[in-house]
Amino acid sequence: MPPARVHQALVVENRDAGRGYFRIVLRAPALAVQARAGHFVMLRVSENLDPLLARPFGIASVLDRRDIELYYRIVGRGTSLLRSVKPGRSLAVHGPLGNGFPAPGKGETPLLVAGGSGFPPLLFFAGRYGRSAHLFAGSRDKACLPPARAMRDFTSRVQSIHYATEDGSRGTCGFVTDALAAYLQRPAGAGRPVIYACGPHPMLAAVSRLAADRGVPCFVSLEERMACGLGVCMGCSVPVTAGGYRRVCKEGPVFDSREVDWGGQVSLQGGRQE
Amino acid sequence: MKRDLTKKPDLSVDLAGIRLKNPVLTASGTFGYGEEYRDIVDLDRLGGIIVKGVSARPIKGNPPPRIWETPSGMLNAIGLENPGVDVFLSEKLPYLRQYDTAVIVNIFGYSLEDYVAVTERLDGVPGVAGLEVNISCPNVKAGGIVFGTNVKASFELLSALRRRTKLPLIAKLSPNVTDITEFARAAADAGCDGLSLINTLLGMAIDVRSRRPRLANCTGGLSGPAIRPVAVRMVWQAAQAVRLPIIGMGGIMTAEDALEFVLAGATAVAVGTANFVNPAATLDVISGLETFLAREGVASLRELTGQVRMT
Repeated sequence: MPPARVHQALVVENRDAGRGYFRIVLRAPALAVQARAGHFVMLRVSENLDPLLARPFGIASVLDRRDIELYYRIVGRGTSLLRSVKPGRSLAVHGPLGNGFPAPGKGETPLLVAGGSGFPPLLFFAGRYGRSAHLFAGSRDKACLPPARAMRDFTSRVQSIHYATEDGSRGTCGFVTDALAAYLQRPAGAGRPVIYACGPHPMLAAVSRLAADRGVPCFVSLEERMACGLGVCMGCSVPVTAGGYRRVCKEGPVFDSREVDWGGQVSLQGGRQE
Repeated sequence: MKRDLTKKPDLSVDLAGIRLKNPVLTASGTFGYGEEYRDIVDLDRLGGIIVKGVSARPIKGNPPPRIWETPSGMLNAIGLENPGVDVFLSEKLPYLRQYDTAVIVNIFGYSLEDYVAVTERLDGVPGVAGLEVNISCPNVKAGGIVFGTNVKASFELLSALRRRTKLPLIAKLSPNVTDITEFARAAADAGCDGLSLINTLLGMAIDVRSRRPRLANCTGGLSGPAIRPVAVRMVWQAAQAVRLPIIGMGGIMTAEDALEFVLAGATAVAVGTANFVNPAATLDVISGLETFLAREGVASLRELTGQVRMT
């Protein structure tokens, strides 16, 4: 893991990206050069004491080796304050944090499964290892899919894109796992499939079950509330099959899906952003 | 008063026989075992580190969700997750011993026997400067708060530990009591060398849509700047009641916050939740204290301890 420091990052851009998302670009060269797919940052949206805590965001891209790109939706006071931050201001950002995705091996075909607002780390992954990858993007309806700009970036980075919406307004009608299961029945090409998934907990649990049934390796990036991002507050711990808990910020956020005890969580609320 | 801005003010303090180069410690549970901060904080610069609570045996902790943000604060119900005293001694303490900083070990148990076992294990261990006894964790049923909210139980527990160790013994008191001075006196009578206060305030938050508590544990401990006025008041009350040195804590974010505690009667201070928000908060507090004393022409921080003016 690279040394993670607190950087004063210049806000280069912060604007509406459509479909309820905002895209913020932060200039932090020392952080950007160390960032790998699956890493996240802790971003303080204000210097005030309320809201007090920094928010975790998965890195969506590194631009020109000096900027990081993040996407967020307004889900609470923190993100609504973030929305009002103008370019030219600087924000404290801590990172890169976490373990990141393992690189795909030779002869492996990455299947990226993005649910809800879980697409940013997969966008980063697609930029590095996307050439032979296939994206499965799922949401309730068309309006909740990743924003147009992110989809454009995915399009230029992966081989194919499969949509699934629960109301059928785009792509397959049903869950993203249905589209993924259909693909696994008749995979395109000869590569061994490996799943990389990020999204809401129930979706990850379903993807994990499907992967186990089909004997496909599966890595999931978990989203949990965090206070520190450093492994000290123990606030983001999730139950694991080996017994006890693992910290999403330190041992994760990426786990082999077999490690995670999917039934053991009392609540299904995730919430990387607020 | 003569102002000599070229001379660095003296921040050193004597805390229950533990010499600290400056009064800034890390509050237990907010700084891990030090190593987690090595990329950010030069541990040599800290007055001391109060490590995450250690128990006789490993503890798994509570199910998630374990934390919830509140106005200028946060609730937590971690459940004292820790690897146990054996792992602490074999894997955590050797790392900390490389640094020139006082290591105070926070200990807790679920029964008197548990507390005794961990105390005896740590007694006389080189590199351990003192013990902070957690009798005030609100998040575990048997341990902690059962002792910490009952004066007689506090006295008996602390007396029993006093007989088992020569190490400086610091009682970490709960704010979830009507009269903090009774507990401060009980700790003094039991032979403790110092007090830490305050631990978190018992709190609760509810998701109005699901109608469920925000924390799986239902209730949790409130920390952060939201609790600072309560903490300053309790430090002041305890300082009036007993002569023991006090480590003041509760929502310290800046040097000015730390000075409030010192003026109220704290010999040293601990930075807690601020470590999550600003990982370099301890260093900022130390340099802020230096600047403040130099500007005010105060030669030593010790001159300010308990010097709040009432008239």
